[in-house]
Amino acid sequence: MKNFLFSRHRLEIFCLIFSVLPLTIQAQSQPHKITGTVSDNSGVLPGVSIIIKNSQTATISNGNGGYTIEAKPTDTLVFSFIGYKTQYITVNNQTKINVILQDDATQLQEVKVNAGYYSVKEKERTGSIAKVSSKDIEKQPVTNVIAVMQGRMAGVEVTQDSGAPGGAFQIKIRGQNSLRADGNQPLYIIDGVSYSSETIGSLNTSGMMPTMTSPLNSINPSDIESIEILKDADATAIYGSRGANGVVLITTKKGKSDKTVFSVNASTGVASVTKKLDLMNTQEYLAMRAQAFANDGITTYPDYAYDINGTWSQDRYTDWQEELIGGTAEINNLQASVSGGSKNTQYLLSGNTRLETTVYPKAFKYRKSAAHFSMNHTADNNRFKLNFSANYTAQNNNQPATDLTAVSRTLAPNAPALYDANGSLNWENSTWDNPLALLESEFFSKIKDFNANAVLSYNILPNLQLKTSLGYTDLRSNESNTQPSTMYNPAYGLGSEISGISNNITSRTSWIAEPQINGNWNLGKAKVEALLGTTFQSQITNRLFQSGFGFSSNSLIHDIASANLKAIDLSDEAVYNYQAVFARINYNYDSRYILNITGRRDGSSRFGPGKQFANFGAVGAAWVFSEEKLLQGNSILSFGKLRTSYGTTGNDQIGDYQFLDTYVSSGNTYQGTIGLQPIRLFNPEFGWETNKKFEAALEAGFFQDRIFLTSAYYNNRSTNQLVGIPLPGTTGFQTLQGNLDATVQNTGLEFTLASKNIAGNDFSWTTNFNISFNRNKLLSYPGLETSPYANTYVVGQSVNIVKLYHYTGFNPLTNLYEFEDVNNDGQITSLADRQTIANLSPKYFGGLQNNLRYKNLQLDFLFHFVKQQSFGYMPGVPGTAVNQLSEVSHQQLPFTSGANGEVIAAYYRYGLSDAALQDASFVRLKNVSLTYDIPLKTKDLKCQLYFQGQNLLTFTPYNSGDPEFKFSGYLPPLRVFTTGVKLTL
Amino acid sequence: MKKLLILSVSLTLLALTTACESFVEVETPQSQLTGSEVFENHNTANAAVLDLFAKVRDNGLITGSALGTSVNLGLYTDELIYYGTTDENVSHIFNNSLLATNPTARQYWNDSYHQIYCANAIIEGCQQSVSLQEPYKTQFTGEAYFIRALLHFYLVNLYNDVPYIATTDYQQNRLASRMPKTLVYEQVVSDLLQAIEMLSTSYLTPDRVRPNKATAKAFLARVYLYQENWLQAETLATEVINTTDYVWETDIDKIFLKESTATIWQFSPKMEGNNADEASVFIFNDGPPPFVGLSPGLATAFQPEDLRKSHWINTITDGTSIWYHAHKYKQNTNTGTSLEYSVVFRLAEQYLIRAEARLKQGNEIGAKSDVNLIRNTAGLPDTPAVTEAAIFNDIMLQRRLEFFTEYSHRFFDLKRTGQLNAVLTPVKPGWNNTDAHWPIPETELLANPNMTQNPGY
Repeated sequence: MKNFLFSRHRLEIFCLIFSVLPLTIQAQSQPHKITGTVSDNSGVLPGVSIIIKNSQTATISNGNGGYTIEAKPTDTLVFSFIGYKTQYITVNNQTKINVILQDDATQLQEVKVNAGYYSVKEKERTGSIAKVSSKDIEKQPVTNVIAVMQGRMAGVEVTQDSGAPGGAFQIKIRGQNSLRADGNQPLYIIDGVSYSSETIGSLNTSGMMPTMTSPLNSINPSDIESIEILKDADATAIYGSRGANGVVLITTKKGKSDKTVFSVNASTGVASVTKKLDLMNTQEYLAMRAQAFANDGITTYPDYAYDINGTWSQDRYTDWQEELIGGTAEINNLQASVSGGSKNTQYLLSGNTRLETTVYPKAFKYRKSAAHFSMNHTADNNRFKLNFSANYTAQNNNQPATDLTAVSRTLAPNAPALYDANGSLNWENSTWDNPLALLESEFFSKIKDFNANAVLSYNILPNLQLKTSLGYTDLRSNESNTQPSTMYNPAYGLGSEISGISNNITSRTSWIAEPQINGNWNLGKAKVEALLGTTFQSQITNRLFQSGFGFSSNSLIHDIASANLKAIDLSDEAVYNYQAVFARINYNYDSRYILNITGRRDGSSRFGPGKQFANFGAVGAAWVFSEEKLLQGNSILSFGKLRTSYGTTGNDQIGDYQFLDTYVSSGNTYQGTIGLQPIRLFNPEFGWETNKKFEAALEAGFFQDRIFLTSAYYNNRSTNQLVGIPLPGTTGFQTLQGNLDATVQNTGLEFTLASKNIAGNDFSWTTNFNISFNRNKLLSYPGLETSPYANTYVVGQSVNIVKLYHYTGFNPLTNLYEFEDVNNDGQITSLADRQTIANLSPKYFGGLQNNLRYKNLQLDFLFHFVKQQSFGYMPGVPGTAVNQLSEVSHQQLPFTSGANGEVIAAYYRYGLSDAALQDASFVRLKNVSLTYDIPLKTKDLKCQLYFQGQNLLTFTPYNSGDPEFKFSGYLPPLRVFTTGVKLTL
Repeated sequence: MKKLLILSVSLTLLALTTACESFVEVETPQSQLTGSEVFENHNTANAAVLDLFAKVRDNGLITGSALGTSVNLGLYTDELIYYGTTDENVSHIFNNSLLATNPTARQYWNDSYHQIYCANAIIEGCQQSVSLQEPYKTQFTGEAYFIRALLHFYLVNLYNDVPYIATTDYQQNRLASRMPKTLVYEQVVSDLLQAIEMLSTSYLTPDRVRPNKATAKAFLARVYLYQENWLQAETLATEVINTTDYVWETDIDKIFLKESTATIWQFSPKMEGNNADEASVFIFNDGPPPFVGLSPGLATAFQPEDLRKSHWINTITDGTSIWYHAHKYKQNTNTGTSLEYSVVFRLAEQYLIRAEARLKQGNEIGAKSDVNLIRNTAGLPDTPAVTEAAIFNDIMLQRRLEFFTEYSHRFFDLKRTGQLNAVLTPVKPGWNNTDAHWPIPETELLANPNMTQNPGY
């Protein structure tokens, strides 16, 4: 109650207490009915929870803020709601209790955060948990659940694979733990059900994306209430083998009140490429080409040098980036929801549909539709509770099979027109590959994703609860990639008899059952909570890859049955079974000293006999020192907590059946028989990868928590690295699954600052800032010198390094780039002379978010920043028929038409030298959201207009395109503007 | 509800203690067989062998597709011109400006050693098999030896010294060192002698898509020729030529048909109705060529009356410019019933091997008679050459004209006879003396501490 002492609203509280006081005299012991209204300073508050202290009786306020509850005069009613101070009111003889809840930051410490199997009060948590809630998610015009976290959470690094619709995002929580590039995925849990983020589909059909299709696109951001990221051992050890890379908990929206509320939200917007490269114009380009041939001593341009030998007009100029990726994509989004219910039962039903077109010069569409249903029920006796929610998402994506970004940058600026006079594709007498022909080959993806879960709980005693969480997921993906004959140059004379289609059908279903028992006991000033549970999970993935070839007409291409030749390239089923026991004991002494012990024993079918089980556990402790007598009532420090944790987690992201020595059908036919091929080198011995995490953190709130600061230090060590060990080709395979005796360490500092700069009734201003520094280091690797990684890693350095040549300058005599000959053997060799180490991990990254509100107008903006270095744009040897950055023409560079092998070798060495590295740091205005609540006479209707923008401004010294990219040559993140209106009735 | 919940919790907790071990033990998936099972049954063992042939047909050094040496080594030497503009990898090959990071250099290496792994797995699988009948064991092992020898032969000719991999043991193979070229040749010969021992005399099927004893001999004749073991080369070539299965085909339009009696070994196509991959790679209808065309130098090396020029090369013109494409294989689409298979070993080579071997042993008359057979079939008169040098030059010319765009014959011939620099320097501006050997892939150097690079890379 110390908070009350400093409350700005002390007066109201006193009034309330005094108004209650006279009634206590007539105290009775029989329960009676109490009604009332709960409101805050601006109006009624639905959804406030009203509990009778030390009992199971509870209710929540309805849509008008009203409530009814039966209580005895000696009872105390507890009114609580997220973001407001909890109020305790003794009933006495009152029959009508109206309460005005006070908005207070300090009270946020009372809010429970989701830790997965349990929830914990913000101020009493011992683990490291970051959170993004729907109010931030809704401000971003994005479709991917990972995108909404970018720049908003400390320690969470998010990058986008491709700006094309359906493009995946990569997430790294506190750095790279596993040497395996694909072994760093966090565990995703949606409403308690684990959601596999393993890619679906096949490289044959995935088309334009640099990575295979990510199922995470199926999660609809507008249905998310909050995302919590568990980072340290204390929070993740209860997820055992799957917690090494952090856990992402997604909680979907629930119905809150019994009042029926309708809401409609419609928006429309446009998107375009953020940044184009500054490339040569025709004059600069042809000058470079001429110089290149002159350098090579070639006086007669070869037949095939169409750009310069006069075959193509030398006066033409086309900005190919504008032509091929310079379009404007349209984005339309419509969402509607209805929620309501009764005192005991609430529901929410919402639907959403979104349509995106692309920046390419042809109509391609991405459509995503989603439905979400949620229902909560509490039995009259308050002992039985049921939560059910179901989500269904359908995505329909049609994209070109090739991303035109790369070709838009390399095509000669005087290349011919795309269309001839008749409006058909121009092949200019076979002198070029018309880039629009690439669009003839298309990618189609239909993904339907259903997931449902139910949580049933029953209090056998007031302090002992049985609970079962049940879940089911069903993902169905059908992808195809068409290669019609029209994508080829007509000079080949090919017709639909060579048209082909590749198709893959993947389905993944899983179920999970997690029976649990949990209880809590008060032992004087101490509280003990305990949890014991078990998990059974099974996942089955079926894949069917087919191809058809040769059609009587290209319009039949989607019908594999019409193909002259049909082949089934793959047909398999993979089973993943997973089983665990987990437990938690939490000891809380006087809300000052808290000890949290979690553990899990895990078994996974991904490991061979004898290797399936492993134990994981963690200890977390917190000391809320602001509760100590010495600091209680301190006028500056309103909250202070020190917490620390240590424990182990694991990683089983290795794929199914990797321990078996097996042959599978290769799909290759010889003599009409399908072949059988060995699929891997056999190693039955591999086991769990272990990750030890340590964290120490200080959380402090000042001036009634108006300024709240957290700083965390962590040290994570991953040992027994489970990797696809790269092997030389002489072994017949490129990798072997196995454990490496290597230790990777990630240490880091994370700071977050939340500040309520101004908190007036008309005007308020809050600022949130986060910054993360992660240092990755390969701590030890016995036998590195003789291992396949000998030339990739260095002990003591990050695992994200590249070894580079050291560039010593341009030698005008030889017309070549020169590099340091480290071993002085007179020649430059990649093994001996690439000894300069460059670290490509970001040095630090973070975000700065501001929220300004003036009356009904709200402005929110987020800056995202990253300090990093990256390779510059290296499209190919200058002088060959590849366009270059326009700055290349102003530099004295060794151009060659392709004949001078030394120049080519030097160019590629340059590309692998420290000279090719650039500062690719950036500060980006990631998100802007402006919202205006139209003041209306009626309180029943709310109308909100909004504007949202994504990737609006970028400040960077990087001259090679968008600095925020992971894969060169793919569409960078797009700049998006949307406007919309939201009606709530 | 309450009882149900308590029951379910207790039941699962009970199940946990009893059944947990079996829950996470999954069966071998239905679509997979364990390695040892495969070689216990004739059909599955046969499928493993067929898959090896399919892999060799589709990927790596000996595929007839655009990925194979017929295209890439044709571009690397003086047979083909790259007319495309977009593929940097191909243009590096064409310009002789390969780097150690070149994807094709890496792919040839990795694909070949993967295929060698599959061959070794067959050899070891047959050896350990309990129930596979002896004749099958012998046949499959012989085929695997043949393929293993063939791939190492191509590797050593492309990369010079290479590891000879004869086991599936990755612990050993990951540290493999480069074996000197002469020793690699000795291993190839030893594998082939075993293959000759094991393979059956007759073809398993009349379409000649699986190697038999004569195929291994034909290949061994080539290996002896490259080793300059003239006597053995002549002996082996003669044995092949005298095999009754082979009848010299005098109609050059029939040489690449799948029924050709001069074919020693050819690939079975991926699907019925498919034809040799080479046709779809080389044929174009309008100029300029969208991908590759024959070099004018090659087209003009033929005498005007040479039937190979009129029948195996097609001339395309737009009125002003002229382009050529290889037209040995004519079916570039699926024809319902296959007409042409990709031929890997054919009788003409045996005659030219014998001609060269006889010449080197001083038998000029024998040499001339063999080369004349080739010349006459092509519509040319007997060779006018009289000196040994002139006969040798004519044999090399006939090899060039006979085997153009076939599995890297041109490059290997120039290389083994020491003519690479003399022939290529004038016509290839990017040619350097060190280009005779391809670069060892950089990934290989990075992953294997015992690997070394060729000079010039």
